[in-house]
Amino acid sequence: MVVMTASALGARASGTARRASTVLVTLLGLLMLTFFIGRVMPLDPVLAVVGPDADHSTYQQVYLAMGLDKPLWTQFGLYLNDLLHGNFGNALLTGHPVLDDIRRVFPATLELATLAILFGVLIGLPLGVCAASNQGRLGDHVARVITLFGYSTPIFWLGMIGLLVFYAWLGWAGGAGRIDLGYDGLVPDVTGLLLIDTSLAGDWEAFASALRHILLPALILGLNSVAYISRMTRSFMLEQLSQEYIITARVKGLSRRQVVWGHAFRNILVQLLTVVALAYGSLLEGAVLIETVFAWPGFGQYLTSSLMLGDMNAVMGCVLVIGLIFVALNLISDALYKVFDPRTR
Amino acid sequence: MSIFPSLWARVLAAIMVVGVVPGADARTPVDQLIVGMSMVNLLSLDPAAATGLDVAEVNANLYDMLLVQDVAEPDRLLPALAERWQVSDDRTTLTFTLRPGVRFQSGNPLTADDVAWSLQRVLKLNLALASTWKAYGFTAANAERYLRAQDANTFVLQLPRPSDPLLVLNTLATSPSAFVLDRKTVLEHQKNTDLGAAWLTTHAAGSGAFVLNDWRANDVLLMSRFDGYWGGPAKLKRVVMRNMTESQSLRLMIERGDLDIAKGMSAPDISALQHNDKVRTQTLQRGTLYYVALSMKQPVFADERVRKAIRALIDYQGINQTVMPHYGVINQRPLPLGLAARLPDPGYRLDVEQARRWLAEAGYPQGFKTTIRVLAEPPFINIAASLQATLAQAGIEASIITGTGNQVYGAMRERNFDIIVGRGGGGAERHPHSSLRTLVYNPDNRDEARLSNFQGWRTAFFSPELNRLIEQAEVEPDASKQLAAYQQIQVRLDQQVGAIVPISQMTDTVLVYADVTDFHGHSAATTRYKDVYKTR
Repeated sequence: MVVMTASALGARASGTARRASTVLVTLLGLLMLTFFIGRVMPLDPVLAVVGPDADHSTYQQVYLAMGLDKPLWTQFGLYLNDLLHGNFGNALLTGHPVLDDIRRVFPATLELATLAILFGVLIGLPLGVCAASNQGRLGDHVARVITLFGYSTPIFWLGMIGLLVFYAWLGWAGGAGRIDLGYDGLVPDVTGLLLIDTSLAGDWEAFASALRHILLPALILGLNSVAYISRMTRSFMLEQLSQEYIITARVKGLSRRQVVWGHAFRNILVQLLTVVALAYGSLLEGAVLIETVFAWPGFGQYLTSSLMLGDMNAVMGCVLVIGLIFVALNLISDALYKVFDPRTR
Repeated sequence: MSIFPSLWARVLAAIMVVGVVPGADARTPVDQLIVGMSMVNLLSLDPAAATGLDVAEVNANLYDMLLVQDVAEPDRLLPALAERWQVSDDRTTLTFTLRPGVRFQSGNPLTADDVAWSLQRVLKLNLALASTWKAYGFTAANAERYLRAQDANTFVLQLPRPSDPLLVLNTLATSPSAFVLDRKTVLEHQKNTDLGAAWLTTHAAGSGAFVLNDWRANDVLLMSRFDGYWGGPAKLKRVVMRNMTESQSLRLMIERGDLDIAKGMSAPDISALQHNDKVRTQTLQRGTLYYVALSMKQPVFADERVRKAIRALIDYQGINQTVMPHYGVINQRPLPLGLAARLPDPGYRLDVEQARRWLAEAGYPQGFKTTIRVLAEPPFINIAASLQATLAQAGIEASIITGTGNQVYGAMRERNFDIIVGRGGGGAERHPHSSLRTLVYNPDNRDEARLSNFQGWRTAFFSPELNRLIEQAEVEPDASKQLAAYQQIQVRLDQQVGAIVPISQMTDTVLVYADVTDFHGHSAATTRYKDVYKTR
């Protein structure tokens, strides 16, 4: 028994080590690729700092201060060395340490993406189930039209139309930004998530303002997830509904709802976890277009602006965070597999 | 029987109910000014490093200058921190007497030492705005000698080489490098020997009418009223500047009254609001020009006849009537409109036949192939498209290469281009020298001279005669002779066919909500919010 436990522990340790090394190699590869692509891009970070009219001596001074005179491998090595010491460098765009910037912009995206994925799951799952259980009938056609709309409508256009209708005409939604501008800076920053911070402050007017501002972009952003999740759910459900155990369950006299939700749906939960995790991961990368239309100061806008400036410290920091998000989501999915599927325990 | 558990239905219903709760009537708070603008070019608030018009406007409210340009009559200079000033008879020394009793927002008294140190700091750091002062002959080494405090209330600026004192005064009234910093506060935040540069990137230490509360890059900038301001407290309590890059979002928000000021909107959106009685438009003329620049490093453009042909292949009137409304107004001279020394437009028009004749004379009867580098945004791309079409009429096949500002001007600084549709010119100084120095002057045309801040050098246009005339005009003490000299320069530049062909004078249109009163945009971008209030 003791021997078995030790061997199980050894296997687990070696599995963890293998996984950790895979993660490290992946992140290193990601960083290396981003760094070298960033350096061959025709963007001059020095010009971003000194402006187009600076004289040559100023240009040279900043060029040297940024270490751009060193060979590329040396620059990359120095960057990795700083990284190992917890120093992500300073961003050109803000003058702040990159980590501080990411800590500042990430909650805005996290809040938006979380609401969007909630919308995606709450609408997408039942829609997919409905489509599968009504295959070829009206429910299926309606679901197909909705998913086609979600997939094919440009999100930028949808954002503008959404603002025009729900903000400008009807006045239901807040406009651009995370909160009415008059509240900006007045809510104590605790978590960076405005819905939570305004609640903690007990400022319900500010909370209502934040809610009015986030609903529209979250719904629009979630529409794409609705399409993705519902299509995948439909496909997984169709596969289950054609299994013999479903016919047996019906023959036994179970209601349609019990068969669909209690048997078929439970069996696709593991697959859906992967789908939802991937969809959430892409939302957390930042939705640049929706962040632009709604002036949402999130991760996507930060990454894009940094990229346009050739600000490689910020870009590399963001890439690392995106990598870590996907690694974390994979680990969480793996852990949840064990909850939903006893065979994987 | 439905397959949906009732829980789903309840959740969906809850979302829909919350989603349709109408918001309060959209109006900005009466004691706050809410500004929507793009902040993508707002990289540093440090007056030594800050480039661009947006940061000039922010800093004009956080800091003060010795003197200011009058908003209504930009040729008039008004006292600010300096109560009065005097120019020595030999025109080399300017003495400023400071207003007594002025304090910084920190409570520290503002002295001549702060003024001298602020300007010396720009030169010692040698960042983006140092070139403004280096052009007068100041250097990091001589800054302490020539920019000094005579006593606590007297600041002396001595010119290292002869120049026009009026030009220097204009620089002090408009350059974003001329703001006076609280030396004591800045040095408290100094790291190593950076003279507070890292700290000032995101903080401020001034005496202006507003205190910087918070600046989150690409997000929001918050300022609140400084009650101890020497000119009396501002009428509004708070200013909020929000980063908004999408023009249609700006339009919807100002239409609804969720913004007081909207800046950087596209021409179609501005036009759409022109007849909206809730919104006013203010058009501000800037000192810069939209132009077509030809590189004389390319043998084809080194030929004066080809440059003449290109000059005749621009549809000035068409571009200014269709592309430029809200972006600029026609100007075919290198000097800004409204300057006394500026000659009337020479009246260039699109003349394809004449252009063909010049091309044939130059040995290109069938035209040639070339490239146009341009920013991928209006109005630049529209001007480039028009130019491409008119060049084609004379057989010149031009392909358009789009890029960011960094890529387009980067190539220009490296002298690596054929044609560029761009924008540039002097600062906000109301003086012909400012524009001529930037667009025409080129004292050393060698590649290794790397005078990349001179657009004359970038295009490799080199005229010793014009260089000499520009230098002479700058130091000419007699106003009428100086005026004549600047007019002569324009005539000679015209005859020599400069490599930069001006098309339009830049304008900025600002949208102002109806109840905002006394907002006067400044052509030098130093718009001050102190007297702005709302009439409700």
